[in-house]
Amino acid sequence: MAIVGILFSGVNLFAQQEKIDVFPTVPYERFIVYQNLIIFWIGIIGLIVIIKMKLREVERTQKMGIDKEEKDIPLLD
Amino acid sequence: MNCPRLKSWFSDRYDFEEIKGFAKQKLVPTHKYEIWYYTGGITLFLFIIQFITGMVLSFYYIPYFEQAHKSIIEIVTKLNMGWFFRSLHHWGAQIAIVVLFIHVWSALLLKAYRKPREFLWLSGFILLGISIFFGLSGYLLLWDERAFAAVRVATGGAGNLPVVGEFIKSFLRGGIDVTGDTLTRFYAFHVSVLPLVTFFLIGLHILLVQYHGMSVPLSVQKNERKEIPFFPNLFYKDLVIWLVVLGIVVTLATLAPPEIGKKADPLAPAPENIKPEWYFLFLFQTLKLFPGEIFGLNGETIAILLISAGIFFFFLIPFFDRKSQRGEKSTLFTWIGIIYFLYFLIMTAIGFIS
Amino acid sequence: MKINFSLVTRRTFLNTLFGGWIVAFAGGSLYSLLKFAFPTLGKEPDFVILKPEDFINIPANSIKPFAWGGKLGLFFKHSNGTTVALKGVCTHMECNITYIPQDKKFYCACHKGWFDENGKNIEGPPPKPLEFFDVTVEDDKLIVARKGIKVELPKA
Repeated sequence: MAIVGILFSGVNLFAQQEKIDVFPTVPYERFIVYQNLIIFWIGIIGLIVIIKMKLREVERTQKMGIDKEEKDIPLLD
Repeated sequence: MNCPRLKSWFSDRYDFEEIKGFAKQKLVPTHKYEIWYYTGGITLFLFIIQFITGMVLSFYYIPYFEQAHKSIIEIVTKLNMGWFFRSLHHWGAQIAIVVLFIHVWSALLLKAYRKPREFLWLSGFILLGISIFFGLSGYLLLWDERAFAAVRVATGGAGNLPVVGEFIKSFLRGGIDVTGDTLTRFYAFHVSVLPLVTFFLIGLHILLVQYHGMSVPLSVQKNERKEIPFFPNLFYKDLVIWLVVLGIVVTLATLAPPEIGKKADPLAPAPENIKPEWYFLFLFQTLKLFPGEIFGLNGETIAILLISAGIFFFFLIPFFDRKSQRGEKSTLFTWIGIIYFLYFLIMTAIGFIS
Repeated sequence: MKINFSLVTRRTFLNTLFGGWIVAFAGGSLYSLLKFAFPTLGKEPDFVILKPEDFINIPANSIKPFAWGGKLGLFFKHSNGTTVALKGVCTHMECNITYIPQDKKFYCACHKGWFDENGKNIEGPPPKPLEFFDVTVEDDKLIVARKGIKVELPKA
């Protein structure tokens, strides 16, 4: 998920009302940023799907009731 | 991942059984209002994001008024992904305050402040004030025209409090007017004083939650109490919600990075249409409602007194709401909560439009 | 060919998938954070441009310092009038060096290292000779460049 370093020619701060670029302006870099956003969302949705799978599994076993400790279980002496 | 040797290395030295037992037994009530339980965790998660992004940003930000503005421009234009982390810090703050307000109002309307949880409400209220101050101090660090004027207005407003007003104003400003000293002071607040206080207060707040357990709203309390274990069920649900929140904040940060205006000039006139940050709008609209003079007394002072009374009442609501202390339904205070909420929304909206 | 039993349990499968995905996700996010936290600025320049009139006419057997990025550069005129430029940084522990005209040697005060007027390390701890630069004069500019760098000036 590397993002290419942003290169900029110097901003001339003495100009009047100079709009300072807070987002990469070169189209090539913009596309990389948007692509990375998509990859990021794929990562998040993948994680959410996996967690939901785990949750389903946990609830399945909990409904079976096998995760509670049995009372009166004989101790190994 | 099973590392039996690593686990036995630790268990030879530390007894985790009690903590593990507590963690396994921790149960959370489930009912139709349970969605509001998540708001606290989301706020915490966003604050963690703020701490991390804030820490890396502080590697590059220069808190000297001559260079502050320029250092931000350098971060945004010259550093690898600087624009992104600054944007993330900005949006993280905005969303954190939104979720914080939701958290406070859900606690208010669901009456989670009632006995025995009064200290949770009090510590939470202090945290609310601290978070707003975080927002104000962070905003000044931009040192652009808007931030400069906004802080001048905000600290000037504090000066209208009777008796303590001038004292508070000069404490915040570090002098008579907003200067480079104010920047230094706000920077100290923003990166040192407030984080430390927040850290301890949040620790206390969370500990109290573990001690008391989650509050169940009065209307569902009479139903049979159904509970689900925190580990792993609610932990996973928390994680899913946190991931969604992270996705939203990152998307906002990528698609809508914040601007930065011209460098502040203390001698220049205030720019047109100056407005404070959105979470202050309701206060300033309220101030605008009051005429300059009422019965010979300064209108602004009266306004500030009334606002302070309103805030003070809000702060001490657990002690005013006698009915919910006894565990009874308290519709009056539900209405008071709704009125506070609507007032905030309407005043903020008006502040936006005007 | 269908096997009658599963090679991994549901639990192992889910946990591995979860763990692997988290590592990838967290690793990627951490990588971008670290890229920001670790600076890439402050590298040495490939060349610097100086004003010739400030440097050409210094007396023989003397040095004049200039800025090489954030480090010290020395413009040096030998006693026979030839001019060179070198990095005024000791090769031992990067202290700034100075020139002793009477001995015609460069001296580093940190650990008492000595270099001769051609930069060769002759005494003390410095392990390597000093780094020299290429000097060219183009139009009205004095260009000091790292050895081997081809300088292409943008047409103003």
